[in-house]
Amino acid sequence: MSALNNLLIPAVLFFALGVITRLIKSDLRLPPDLAKMLSIYLLMAIGLHGGYELGRADLGAAFNAVAWAIALGFTLPLMGYGLLMLTRRVDRMNAAAIAAHYGSVSAGTFLTAIAYLDNAGIAYEAYPLIMLAVMESPAIVVGLLLASWSRQRLAVQDGGVASIDNGPANGQWRSLLHEAMTNGSVVLLIGSMAIGAISAPASMEKLFPFIDEIFMGVLCLFLFEMGMEAARRLREFRRVGAVLVAFGLVMPLVGGVIGIAVGHWALGLGIGGTTLVAVLGASASYIAVPPAMRLAVPEANPSFYLTLALGITFPFNVVIGIPLYHHLAVLVIN
Amino acid sequence: MHRLVPEKLVTIISTDVLEERLVAIARNRGASGYTILRARGAGSSGEQSGMLDADANIKFHVILPTDRLAGVLDDLERLMSKRYPLTVFVSDVAVLGSDKFDKPMG
Repeated sequence: MSALNNLLIPAVLFFALGVITRLIKSDLRLPPDLAKMLSIYLLMAIGLHGGYELGRADLGAAFNAVAWAIALGFTLPLMGYGLLMLTRRVDRMNAAAIAAHYGSVSAGTFLTAIAYLDNAGIAYEAYPLIMLAVMESPAIVVGLLLASWSRQRLAVQDGGVASIDNGPANGQWRSLLHEAMTNGSVVLLIGSMAIGAISAPASMEKLFPFIDEIFMGVLCLFLFEMGMEAARRLREFRRVGAVLVAFGLVMPLVGGVIGIAVGHWALGLGIGGTTLVAVLGASASYIAVPPAMRLAVPEANPSFYLTLALGITFPFNVVIGIPLYHHLAVLVIN
Repeated sequence: MHRLVPEKLVTIISTDVLEERLVAIARNRGASGYTILRARGAGSSGEQSGMLDADANIKFHVILPTDRLAGVLDDLERLMSKRYPLTVFVSDVAVLGSDKFDKPMG
Protein backbone atom coordinates (compact mmCIF):
# COMPACT_ATOMS: atom_id res chain seq x y z
CA MET A 1 0.00 0.00 0.00
CA SER A 2 1.63 3.22 -1.08
CA ALA A 3 0.72 6.58 0.37
CA LEU A 4 -0.60 7.56 -3.03
CA ASN A 5 -3.02 4.67 -2.97
CA ASN A 6 -4.48 6.09 0.22
CA LEU A 7 -5.15 9.38 -1.49
CA LEU A 8 -7.04 7.78 -4.34
CA ILE A 9 -10.34 7.83 -2.50
CA PRO A 10 -13.24 9.50 -4.29
CA ALA A 11 -13.88 11.83 -1.33
CA VAL A 12 -10.30 13.13 -1.30
CA LEU A 13 -10.21 13.34 -5.09
CA PHE A 14 -13.41 15.39 -5.06
CA PHE A 15 -11.79 17.73 -2.58
CA ALA A 16 -8.93 18.14 -5.06
CA LEU A 17 -11.44 18.68 -7.87
CA GLY A 18 -13.05 21.44 -5.81
CA VAL A 19 -9.69 23.16 -5.40
CA ILE A 20 -8.94 22.81 -9.12
CA THR A 21 -12.40 24.07 -10.09
CA ARG A 22 -11.65 27.29 -8.24
CA LEU A 23 -8.05 27.58 -9.45
CA ILE A 24 -8.98 27.32 -13.12
CA LYS A 25 -11.74 29.86 -12.47
CA SER A 26 -14.51 27.59 -13.66
CA ASP A 27 -17.93 29.18 -13.74
CA LEU A 28 -19.37 26.39 -11.61
CA ARG A 29 -21.45 27.81 -8.76
CA LEU A 30 -23.05 25.65 -6.11
CA PRO A 31 -26.32 26.73 -4.50
CA PRO A 32 -25.68 28.86 -1.41
CA ASP A 33 -27.15 26.48 1.17
CA LEU A 34 -25.69 23.27 -0.24
CA ALA A 35 -22.82 22.98 2.25
CA LYS A 36 -25.23 23.55 5.10
CA MET A 37 -27.64 20.88 3.85
CA LEU A 38 -24.90 18.37 3.26
CA SER A 39 -23.34 18.92 6.66
CA ILE A 40 -26.74 18.50 8.31
CA TYR A 41 -27.10 15.17 6.54
CA LEU A 42 -23.56 14.08 7.36
CA LEU A 43 -23.88 14.89 11.05
CA MET A 44 -27.25 13.17 11.25
CA ALA A 45 -26.04 10.05 9.46
CA ILE A 46 -22.79 9.72 11.37
CA GLY A 47 -24.64 10.42 14.62
CA LEU A 48 -27.27 7.75 13.98
CA HIS A 49 -24.65 5.26 12.91
CA GLY A 50 -22.36 5.94 15.85
CA GLY A 51 -25.24 6.00 18.32
CA TYR A 52 -26.41 2.64 17.03
CA GLU A 53 -22.99 1.19 17.79
CA LEU A 54 -22.55 3.06 21.06
CA GLY A 55 -25.86 1.65 22.24
CA ARG A 56 -24.10 -1.69 22.41
CA ALA A 57 -20.77 -0.34 23.70
CA ASP A 58 -19.28 -0.19 27.17
CA LEU A 59 -20.62 2.79 29.12
CA GLY A 60 -17.48 3.14 31.27
CA ALA A 61 -15.25 3.41 28.21
CA ALA A 62 -17.64 5.95 26.74
CA PHE A 63 -17.40 8.14 29.85
CA ASN A 64 -13.63 7.84 29.73
CA ALA A 65 -13.66 9.04 26.12
CA VAL A 66 -15.86 12.00 27.08
CA ALA A 67 -13.51 12.97 29.92
CA TRP A 68 -10.48 12.86 27.63
CA ALA A 69 -12.33 14.79 24.93
CA ILE A 70 -13.03 17.57 27.43
CA ALA A 71 -9.39 17.52 28.58
CA LEU A 72 -8.19 17.81 24.97
CA GLY A 73 -10.71 20.54 24.25
CA PHE A 74 -9.38 22.64 27.11
CA THR A 75 -5.67 21.91 26.65
CA LEU A 76 -5.18 22.24 22.89
CA PRO A 77 -6.35 25.87 22.64
CA LEU A 78 -4.04 26.86 25.50
CA MET A 79 -1.11 25.27 23.66
CA GLY A 80 -2.17 26.95 20.43
CA TYR A 81 -2.42 30.30 22.19
CA GLY A 82 1.07 29.85 23.65
CA LEU A 83 2.53 28.90 20.26
CA LEU A 84 0.83 31.85 18.56
CA MET A 85 2.12 34.33 21.13
CA LEU A 86 5.61 32.92 20.58
CA THR A 87 5.40 33.76 16.87
CA ARG A 88 4.84 37.44 17.80
CA ARG A 89 2.87 37.83 14.60
CA VAL A 90 -0.58 38.23 16.05
CA ASP A 91 -1.99 40.19 18.94
CA ARG A 92 -3.62 38.52 21.90
CA MET A 93 -7.16 38.79 20.59
CA ASN A 94 -6.33 37.15 17.28
CA ALA A 95 -4.33 34.49 19.10
CA ALA A 96 -7.29 33.71 21.37
CA ALA A 97 -9.69 33.41 18.43
CA ILE A 98 -7.33 31.27 16.34
CA ALA A 99 -6.53 29.04 19.32
CA ALA A 100 -10.22 28.33 19.86
CA HIS A 101 -10.46 26.98 16.30
CA TYR A 102 -7.60 24.57 16.89
CA GLY A 103 -9.00 23.23 20.13
CA SER A 104 -12.31 22.49 18.48
CA VAL A 105 -12.79 19.93 15.75
CA SER A 106 -13.73 19.65 12.10
CA ALA A 107 -16.40 17.08 11.35
CA GLY A 108 -15.40 17.24 7.66
CA THR A 109 -11.87 16.10 8.49
CA PHE A 110 -13.19 13.40 10.81
CA LEU A 111 -15.51 12.03 8.10
CA THR A 112 -12.69 12.07 5.56
CA ALA A 113 -10.65 10.01 8.02
CA ILE A 114 -13.54 7.55 8.22
CA ALA A 115 -13.60 7.30 4.43
CA TYR A 116 -9.85 6.73 4.52
CA LEU A 117 -10.11 3.98 7.13
CA ASP A 118 -13.03 2.33 5.31
CA ASN A 119 -11.04 2.38 2.11
CA ALA A 120 -8.05 0.79 3.79
CA GLY A 121 -10.28 -1.78 5.49
CA ILE A 122 -9.29 -0.67 8.99
CA ALA A 123 -11.83 -1.10 11.78
CA TYR A 124 -12.39 1.71 14.28
CA GLU A 125 -14.23 2.12 17.56
CA ALA A 126 -17.33 4.30 17.95
CA TYR A 127 -15.94 6.25 20.94
CA PRO A 128 -14.10 8.90 18.89
CA LEU A 129 -17.51 9.94 17.54
CA ILE A 130 -18.67 10.89 21.05
CA MET A 131 -15.44 12.84 21.38
CA LEU A 132 -16.24 14.66 18.14
CA ALA A 133 -19.51 15.83 19.64
CA VAL A 134 -17.98 16.76 22.98
CA MET A 135 -14.95 18.59 21.57
CA GLU A 136 -16.91 21.23 19.67
CA SER A 137 -17.65 23.33 22.74
CA PRO A 138 -14.83 23.44 25.34
CA ALA A 139 -12.44 25.23 23.01
CA ILE A 140 -15.02 27.96 22.41
CA VAL A 141 -15.20 28.49 26.16
CA VAL A 142 -11.39 28.59 26.41
CA GLY A 143 -11.28 31.05 23.50
CA LEU A 144 -13.76 33.31 25.30
CA LEU A 145 -11.80 33.13 28.53
CA LEU A 146 -8.50 33.84 26.78
CA ALA A 147 -10.04 36.78 24.95
CA SER A 148 -11.56 38.17 28.12
CA TRP A 149 -8.27 37.79 29.99
CA SER A 150 -6.38 39.43 27.10
CA ARG A 151 -8.86 42.28 27.07
CA GLN A 152 -8.19 42.94 30.74
CA ARG A 153 -4.43 42.85 30.20
CA LEU A 154 -4.72 45.24 27.30
CA ALA A 155 -6.87 47.55 29.41
CA VAL A 156 -4.24 47.54 32.14
CA GLN A 157 -1.52 48.21 29.56
CA ASP A 158 -3.49 51.13 28.24
CA GLY A 159 -3.39 52.39 31.79
CA GLY A 160 -6.97 52.64 32.66
CA VAL A 161 -10.47 51.47 33.15
CA ALA A 162 -11.38 52.67 29.68
CA SER A 163 -11.96 49.20 28.33
CA ILE A 164 -14.33 47.86 30.91
CA ASP A 165 -17.05 48.41 28.38
CA ASN A 166 -15.15 46.33 25.83
CA GLY A 167 -16.24 42.85 24.98
CA PRO A 168 -19.09 40.87 26.38
CA ALA A 169 -20.70 42.23 29.50
CA ASN A 170 -21.49 39.82 32.30
CA GLY A 171 -25.03 39.33 31.08
CA GLN A 172 -23.74 38.29 27.68
CA TRP A 173 -21.47 35.62 29.09
CA ARG A 174 -24.36 33.38 29.77
CA SER A 175 -25.70 33.71 26.25
CA LEU A 176 -22.25 33.10 24.77
CA LEU A 177 -21.80 29.97 26.84
CA HIS A 178 -25.31 28.92 25.96
CA GLU A 179 -24.41 29.34 22.32
CA ALA A 180 -21.23 27.29 22.69
CA MET A 181 -23.13 24.42 24.26
CA THR A 182 -26.23 24.49 22.09
CA ASN A 183 -24.41 25.00 18.82
CA GLY A 184 -26.41 23.54 15.95
CA SER A 185 -23.93 20.85 14.99
CA VAL A 186 -23.56 19.72 18.61
CA VAL A 187 -27.31 19.42 19.09
CA LEU A 188 -27.74 17.57 15.81
CA LEU A 189 -24.88 15.16 16.46
CA ILE A 190 -25.74 14.37 20.06
CA GLY A 191 -29.45 14.17 19.27
CA SER A 192 -28.85 11.75 16.38
CA MET A 193 -26.55 9.66 18.52
CA ALA A 194 -29.21 9.41 21.21
CA ILE A 195 -31.82 8.40 18.64
CA GLY A 196 -29.45 5.83 17.15
CA ALA A 197 -28.67 4.44 20.58
CA ILE A 198 -32.23 4.05 21.87
CA SER A 199 -34.09 3.12 18.66
CA ALA A 200 -35.11 -0.47 18.15
CA PRO A 201 -32.38 -2.19 16.07
CA ALA A 202 -34.92 -3.46 13.53
CA SER A 203 -36.17 0.06 12.84
CA MET A 204 -32.61 1.31 12.56
CA GLU A 205 -31.87 -1.24 9.87
CA LYS A 206 -34.54 0.36 7.71
CA LEU A 207 -32.51 3.57 7.90
CA PHE A 208 -29.32 2.00 6.64
CA PRO A 209 -29.88 3.00 3.01
CA PHE A 210 -30.11 6.60 4.24
CA ILE A 211 -27.24 6.61 6.71
CA ASP A 212 -24.88 4.07 5.13
CA GLU A 213 -25.31 3.52 1.45
CA ILE A 214 -25.44 7.09 0.24
CA PHE A 215 -23.09 8.42 2.92
CA MET A 216 -19.87 8.36 0.90
CA GLY A 217 -21.57 9.98 -2.08
CA VAL A 218 -22.79 12.86 0.04
CA LEU A 219 -19.34 13.16 1.59
CA CYS A 220 -17.89 13.50 -1.93
CA LEU A 221 -20.27 16.36 -2.69
CA PHE A 222 -19.50 18.02 0.63
CA LEU A 223 -15.74 17.76 0.15
CA PHE A 224 -16.08 19.02 -3.40
CA GLU A 225 -17.69 22.17 -2.07
CA MET A 226 -15.19 22.45 0.78
CA GLY A 227 -12.36 22.17 -1.75
CA MET A 228 -13.82 25.16 -3.54
CA GLU A 229 -14.16 27.05 -0.26
CA ALA A 230 -10.61 26.16 0.80
CA ALA A 231 -9.21 27.34 -2.53
CA ARG A 232 -11.14 30.59 -2.16
CA ARG A 233 -8.94 31.27 0.88
CA LEU A 234 -5.67 30.75 -0.98
CA ARG A 235 -5.45 34.34 -2.06
CA GLU A 236 -5.58 35.43 1.58
CA PHE A 237 -2.29 33.66 2.33
CA ARG A 238 -0.26 36.77 1.67
CA ARG A 239 -2.32 38.72 4.14
CA VAL A 240 -1.86 36.04 6.78
CA GLY A 241 1.91 35.72 6.34
CA ALA A 242 4.37 32.83 6.26
CA VAL A 243 4.69 32.45 10.02
CA LEU A 244 0.96 31.97 10.54
CA VAL A 245 0.79 29.60 7.58
CA ALA A 246 3.53 27.60 9.32
CA PHE A 247 1.42 27.60 12.48
CA GLY A 248 -1.45 26.14 10.44
CA LEU A 249 0.83 23.24 9.52
CA VAL A 250 2.63 22.73 12.84
CA MET A 251 -0.36 22.95 15.16
CA PRO A 252 -2.17 19.96 13.59
CA LEU A 253 0.98 17.90 13.98
CA VAL A 254 1.18 18.82 17.67
CA GLY A 255 -2.51 18.05 18.15
CA GLY A 256 -2.22 14.85 16.12
CA VAL A 257 0.63 13.50 18.23
CA ILE A 258 -1.24 14.34 21.43
CA GLY A 259 -4.31 12.67 19.98
CA ILE A 260 -2.36 9.51 19.25
CA ALA A 261 -1.05 9.45 22.81
CA VAL A 262 -4.58 9.87 24.20
CA GLY A 263 -6.10 7.34 21.80
CA HIS A 264 -3.55 4.67 22.42
CA TRP A 265 -2.35 5.02 26.01
CA ALA A 266 -5.28 6.73 27.72
CA LEU A 267 -8.17 5.07 25.89
CA GLY A 268 -6.54 1.86 24.67
CA LEU A 269 -8.06 2.13 21.19
CA GLY A 270 -6.92 0.18 18.16
CA ILE A 271 -5.18 1.62 15.11
CA GLY A 272 -8.42 2.92 13.56
CA GLY A 273 -9.71 4.54 16.75
CA THR A 274 -6.33 6.04 17.60
CA THR A 275 -6.09 7.53 14.11
CA LEU A 276 -9.51 9.12 14.59
CA VAL A 277 -8.54 10.64 17.97
CA ALA A 278 -5.39 12.00 16.33
CA VAL A 279 -7.56 13.58 13.63
CA LEU A 280 -9.72 15.15 16.36
CA GLY A 281 -6.62 16.60 18.00
CA ALA A 282 -5.23 17.81 14.68
CA SER A 283 -8.30 19.32 13.07
CA ALA A 284 -9.47 22.90 13.35
CA SER A 285 -13.11 23.93 13.32
CA TYR A 286 -14.42 26.01 10.44
CA ILE A 287 -18.15 25.60 11.00
CA ALA A 288 -18.97 26.00 14.70
CA VAL A 289 -16.21 28.20 16.04
CA PRO A 290 -15.97 31.06 13.51
CA PRO A 291 -19.48 32.43 14.16
CA ALA A 292 -18.92 32.15 17.91
CA MET A 293 -15.65 34.08 17.67
CA ARG A 294 -17.24 36.68 15.42
CA LEU A 295 -19.78 37.37 18.09
CA ALA A 296 -17.55 37.11 21.13
CA VAL A 297 -14.16 38.31 19.89
CA PRO A 298 -14.91 41.05 17.37
CA GLU A 299 -11.37 42.38 17.77
CA ALA A 300 -9.98 39.34 15.95
CA ASN A 301 -9.88 39.35 12.17
CA PRO A 302 -11.98 36.54 10.62
CA SER A 303 -9.75 36.37 7.58
CA PHE A 304 -6.94 35.14 9.86
CA TYR A 305 -8.78 32.31 11.54
CA LEU A 306 -10.80 31.25 8.52
CA THR A 307 -7.77 31.21 6.26
CA LEU A 308 -5.84 29.13 8.78
CA ALA A 309 -8.56 26.64 9.64
CA LEU A 310 -10.16 26.25 6.22
CA GLY A 311 -7.42 27.26 3.78
CA ILE A 312 -4.41 25.61 5.38
CA THR A 313 -5.09 23.11 8.14
CA PHE A 314 -8.11 21.42 6.56
CA PRO A 315 -6.43 20.64 3.19
CA PHE A 316 -3.24 19.65 5.02
CA ASN A 317 -5.13 17.17 7.17
CA VAL A 318 -7.17 15.76 4.29
CA VAL A 319 -4.20 15.16 2.02
CA ILE A 320 -1.21 14.63 4.29
CA GLY A 321 -2.34 14.56 7.90
CA ILE A 322 -4.74 11.62 7.89
CA PRO A 323 -2.33 9.10 6.28
CA LEU A 324 0.43 10.48 8.49
CA TYR A 325 -1.52 10.02 11.72
CA HIS A 326 -2.50 6.56 10.58
CA HIS A 327 1.13 5.60 10.00
CA LEU A 328 2.12 7.10 13.34
CA ALA A 329 -0.64 5.12 15.04
CA VAL A 330 0.64 1.94 13.39
CA LEU A 331 4.18 2.72 14.56
CA VAL A 332 3.11 3.43 18.13
CA ILE A 333 0.75 0.49 18.47
CA ASN A 334 2.97 -2.12 16.86
CA MET B 1 -50.43 64.06 -6.20
CA HIS B 2 -48.96 61.35 -4.03
CA ARG B 3 -48.13 62.32 -0.48
CA LEU B 4 -44.45 61.44 0.04
CA VAL B 5 -43.01 61.95 3.51
CA PRO B 6 -39.26 62.25 4.24
CA GLU B 7 -37.77 59.57 6.50
CA LYS B 8 -34.28 58.20 7.23
CA LEU B 9 -33.12 54.87 5.86
CA VAL B 10 -30.34 53.26 7.89
CA THR B 11 -28.45 50.51 6.06
CA ILE B 12 -26.09 48.21 7.91
CA ILE B 13 -23.85 45.59 6.35
CA SER B 14 -22.37 43.14 8.80
CA THR B 15 -21.87 39.52 9.73
CA ASP B 16 -25.07 37.58 10.21
CA VAL B 17 -24.14 36.66 13.77
CA LEU B 18 -25.05 40.22 14.71
CA GLU B 19 -28.58 39.88 13.37
CA GLU B 20 -30.21 39.52 16.78
CA ARG B 21 -28.37 42.54 18.15
CA LEU B 22 -29.38 44.67 15.19
CA VAL B 23 -32.99 43.61 15.52
CA ALA B 24 -32.88 44.46 19.23
CA ILE B 25 -31.50 47.91 18.48
CA ALA B 26 -34.19 48.62 15.89
CA ARG B 27 -36.89 47.40 18.26
CA ASN B 28 -35.63 49.25 21.33
CA ARG B 29 -35.20 52.49 19.44
CA GLY B 30 -38.75 52.54 18.18
CA ALA B 31 -38.40 51.38 14.59
CA SER B 32 -41.62 50.21 12.98
CA GLY B 33 -39.97 47.28 11.20
CA TYR B 34 -36.85 46.12 9.43
CA THR B 35 -35.74 44.11 6.40
CA ILE B 36 -32.82 41.73 6.22
CA LEU B 37 -31.15 40.49 3.04
CA ARG B 38 -28.38 37.94 2.68
CA ALA B 39 -25.26 39.55 1.37
CA ARG B 40 -21.81 38.63 0.24
CA GLY B 41 -18.73 40.62 -0.61
CA ALA B 42 -15.28 41.39 0.69
CA GLY B 43 -13.64 43.93 2.94
CA SER B 44 -11.64 44.32 6.12
CA SER B 45 -12.77 40.89 7.36
CA GLY B 46 -11.70 39.13 4.17
CA GLU B 47 -14.02 37.59 1.63
CA GLN B 48 -17.53 36.81 2.77
CA SER B 49 -18.68 34.17 0.35
CA GLY B 50 -22.04 33.53 1.99
CA MET B 51 -21.50 29.81 1.42
CA LEU B 52 -20.69 28.90 5.01
CA ASP B 53 -22.06 29.86 8.39
CA ALA B 54 -18.63 31.21 9.04
CA ASP B 55 -18.65 33.89 6.39
CA ALA B 56 -22.20 35.00 5.79
CA ASN B 57 -23.12 38.67 5.73
CA ILE B 58 -26.42 40.47 5.98
CA LYS B 59 -27.69 43.79 4.76
CA PHE B 60 -30.04 45.26 7.33
CA HIS B 61 -32.49 48.02 6.39
CA VAL B 62 -34.52 50.07 8.77
CA ILE B 63 -36.61 53.17 7.98
CA LEU B 64 -37.12 55.67 10.78
CA PRO B 65 -38.59 59.08 11.47
CA THR B 66 -35.71 61.53 11.77
CA ASP B 67 -36.19 62.03 15.52
CA ARG B 68 -35.53 58.35 16.22
CA LEU B 69 -32.32 58.20 14.20
CA ALA B 70 -29.88 59.41 16.86
CA GLY B 71 -30.69 56.57 19.28
CA VAL B 72 -30.08 53.93 16.65
CA LEU B 73 -26.79 55.52 15.64
CA ASP B 74 -25.69 55.69 19.30
CA ASP B 75 -26.23 51.94 19.67
CA LEU B 76 -24.44 51.19 16.41
CA GLU B 77 -21.48 53.32 17.48
CA ARG B 78 -21.34 51.36 20.70
CA LEU B 79 -21.11 48.12 18.69
CA MET B 80 -18.40 49.65 16.52
CA SER B 81 -16.45 50.74 19.59
CA LYS B 82 -16.28 47.08 20.56
CA ARG B 83 -14.69 46.63 17.14
CA TYR B 84 -17.51 44.80 15.45
CA PRO B 85 -16.97 45.39 11.74
CA LEU B 86 -20.07 47.28 10.64
CA THR B 87 -20.70 49.28 7.51
CA VAL B 88 -23.38 51.85 8.29
CA PHE B 89 -24.83 54.56 6.13
CA VAL B 90 -27.88 56.76 6.34
CA SER B 91 -29.89 57.95 3.38
CA ASP B 92 -32.76 60.36 2.96
CA VAL B 93 -35.76 58.61 1.55
CA ALA B 94 -39.31 59.56 0.81
CA VAL B 95 -41.97 57.05 1.77
CA LEU B 96 -45.50 56.50 0.68
CA GLY B 97 -48.01 55.75 3.42
CA SER B 98 -45.89 57.22 6.19
CA ASP B 99 -48.25 56.31 9.04
CA LYS B 100 -46.84 52.84 9.46
CA PHE B 101 -43.33 54.12 10.08
CA ASP B 102 -44.51 56.03 13.17
CA LYS B 103 -45.76 52.91 14.97
CA PRO B 104 -43.01 51.11 16.91
CA MET B 105 -42.86 47.33 16.73
CA GLY B 106 -44.58 45.56 19.55
